[in-house]
Amino acid sequence: MARNVTRGPVRALSLALVLGVMAGCATDPAPHEQMRLAEQALEQAKSVGATDQQETLALAEEKLTRARTDLAAGQNREARMRAEQAELDARLAEAQVLTQKRDEQVQALQARIQRLRQQLEARP
Amino acid sequence: MTRVSNHWAVAILLASIGGLHGCASQRSEVALEQASATFQQIKDDADVLRSAPRDVIRAGESLGRAERLATYVGSGSDVRQYAYLSQRYSEIAREHTRLALSEEQLVKLDLKRQRLQLALREAKLASVQQQGKWLEAEIAALASEDSDRGLVLTLGDVLFDTGRAELKNSASRTVLKLVQFLQLNPRRVIRIEGYTDSTGSTEDNLQLSRDRAQSVADMLIDLGVEEKRVQVMGYGDQYPVEANASERGRAKNRRVEVVFSDDKGRLAPLR
Repeated sequence: MARNVTRGPVRALSLALVLGVMAGCATDPAPHEQMRLAEQALEQAKSVGATDQQETLALAEEKLTRARTDLAAGQNREARMRAEQAELDARLAEAQVLTQKRDEQVQALQARIQRLRQQLEARP
Repeated sequence: MTRVSNHWAVAILLASIGGLHGCASQRSEVALEQASATFQQIKDDADVLRSAPRDVIRAGESLGRAERLATYVGSGSDVRQYAYLSQRYSEIAREHTRLALSEEQLVKLDLKRQRLQLALREAKLASVQQQGKWLEAEIAALASEDSDRGLVLTLGDVLFDTGRAELKNSASRTVLKLVQFLQLNPRRVIRIEGYTDSTGSTEDNLQLSRDRAQSVADMLIDLGVEEKRVQVMGYGDQYPVEANASERGRAKNRRVEVVFSDDKGRLAPLR
């Protein structure tokens, strides 16, 4: 008996929730999580040495800025899309910086090996 | 007149809307084609699949979504979005692959560097050993082989002033060679023996011969030869190498001799 008493309100609440979620779907929720991911990716890229000189990083920053503006204006869909792009732009920038650094190390090592070879050959 | 122009305006408006629409779908198509082409380049590359499998999967998923969405009307911006994301995932995968290959190369190069460095060190060591042999030959040229005492190097009277025990500057070149030789032959020990001519008392001569031998020993020790490797002995006017009758003979008798042990540290016994 006690169960029947509670069942009515629960059902009503479920219905309200489902409707609420559907409504949310229709008008894109605010993409806070995606904004955070994009910000994190941008921070990460900068922490390994990416700068505005890099096209991809400049793109990421620009898109994140615009995503913030969109979010503030309630344009959630635009904000989400820009933040998604910004995240991947930043991740690409990070990978590019790392590759460039590694390539520089390879070149330095090759030069060093070259010097060692020359020293070895100079010996009778 | 106004009616006609109104019609024209509507026609132009419709055309331009159509044009915009055509433009938009064309843009989506171009983006889709680009993303697809990039994905094709990486999806069968074994290096990419090994280095960045997750990014390849995401590039494929995003591309699939973009392609599905492209079949719906009015989804242009979503198509472009997923095409863009796919393009980026492919590029990230490619970049990570380059990074991994560079890292592998770095490891290989570092091994090569270590090997070369080792080879160079060995070559230098070999040349030091060669130098040691050369020095040995030079010492051997300066010294002479005595049947009873082994290798003996004679430092002549020119190294000392008459009656004085201090080494002259001209001694240092020979002494430096001696130091180098001893450093390169760490097991050899030496005995430094002093001799005088017969001028003066026997006791003075003994003392003078000992002092001269000692000053050579002091210089060697100052230059880094261990004290325990150097014995000192004074023989006074005993064992002349020539008659003391002439000045030339006496000059030959005023000398310091360095007796070398063999390379196991065995010295000939005292005279």
